[in-house]
Amino acid sequence: MDTRRQRFEAQALPHLDAAYNLARWLARSPADAEDIVQEAMLRAYRAFDGFRGGDARPWLLAIVRNCWRSAGADTKRRNHVALPEEGGVALTSDEPDPEARAAQASEGRRLDGLIALLPNEFREVLILREMEDMSYREIAEVTGAPIGTVMSRLARGRAMLRERWLQEVPHELR
Amino acid sequence: MSCVETLRTQAYLDGELDGTAASEAERHIETCLECQQLCADVAHLSDALRRDASRHRAPDVLRARIVARLDAEDSRHVVPFARRSFWFGAASGTGISAIAASVAVMLLLPPSAATLAQAITDDHTSALASGHLIQIASSNHHVVKPWFAGRVDVSPPATDFAAQGFPLAGGRVDEIAGARAAVVVYRHGRHVIDLFVWPDHGSMLPGNATRHGYHVLFWKSGDLDFAAVSDTERSELEKFVGLVRSQPE
Repeated sequence: MDTRRQRFEAQALPHLDAAYNLARWLARSPADAEDIVQEAMLRAYRAFDGFRGGDARPWLLAIVRNCWRSAGADTKRRNHVALPEEGGVALTSDEPDPEARAAQASEGRRLDGLIALLPNEFREVLILREMEDMSYREIAEVTGAPIGTVMSRLARGRAMLRERWLQEVPHELR
Repeated sequence: MSCVETLRTQAYLDGELDGTAASEAERHIETCLECQQLCADVAHLSDALRRDASRHRAPDVLRARIVARLDAEDSRHVVPFARRSFWFGAASGTGISAIAASVAVMLLLPPSAATLAQAITDDHTSALASGHLIQIASSNHHVVKPWFAGRVDVSPPATDFAAQGFPLAGGRVDEIAGARAAVVVYRHGRHVIDLFVWPDHGSMLPGNATRHGYHVLFWKSGDLDFAAVSDTERSELEKFVGLVRSQPE
């Protein structure tokens, strides 16, 4: 095992979950997401000598996004993604009360469905901001969009998601 | 929405503002009903997304596939073609076979001869390129030798061979084959020689190798493993190794 491999394992591999989560929210199926992440990791490893320190996460997620784009280039893109119950492991909090857990699970599924229906450019900034807790600068690095565009997409994405969410949500849950 | 400050308010909520900009945003929010509503909405949505929406974790089988691909990538440059194609074939499988392949790679390739020589040369060249060649710069072995104590599990010989044309330049610590190695740095004319020293764990050492113009010589002495690497002439490197080996430990 050489030091390059060890650096890669220390700096890039810990972001595998983040990479998979983004791919999963962009790709059409869990299988596609896995292929995209595997390809992205290999590309990242080959390009790792060009990575100059700092946080590898935005760098890696930008590669994931590029792989997703090139994977989609030869097929007609649909503007939605597979819903989570089709596979994969969801990380949700472990709510002790079974009833509350069931309610939370159903609320989660509903929210997942609404996020999946957002256009890609709004969905990705929301995922990066709210799930990966990334700064505007990092989101700009991943998506290749200027920070101003990131800000307006985030505002628009939030407004769209909120509007759809409130349309469906029963009043007692609000 | 009619307020022109909503993007600034959003930036404030996302923690993008500090100091004066944050105070200005706060003052505005205090007086703007629309931005107050925005704050409540964004917080509500953000809570729901973080609590209820799915954050997907990479499946273990994917992790195993990736490790297998990285192993295949590592051995691609250093193993004969027949074995490379085997690893590529194994790595391109899915499910159980992929897990099996990654386990097999870990079992069969505890730093093999080729990967160890590769690791040593890679470390040497990347240290040269990155400017991190030397962590302790001294030609005095009373300075260099104690510097390693506490940093590595070995006490490497660090004799200055300036009189023989191999002046001691310093040392650094690096990871080689999963172990911390002491690296004693020498100069020879315009060339740099790295002397790697790490604890012997009874593993086989590879034969001497030349990779991309770098010579690597291996030997064992006592309970230590040694490797010397440089792009100087092979005969010069052998002379250097002879000097090191002639020293009492």
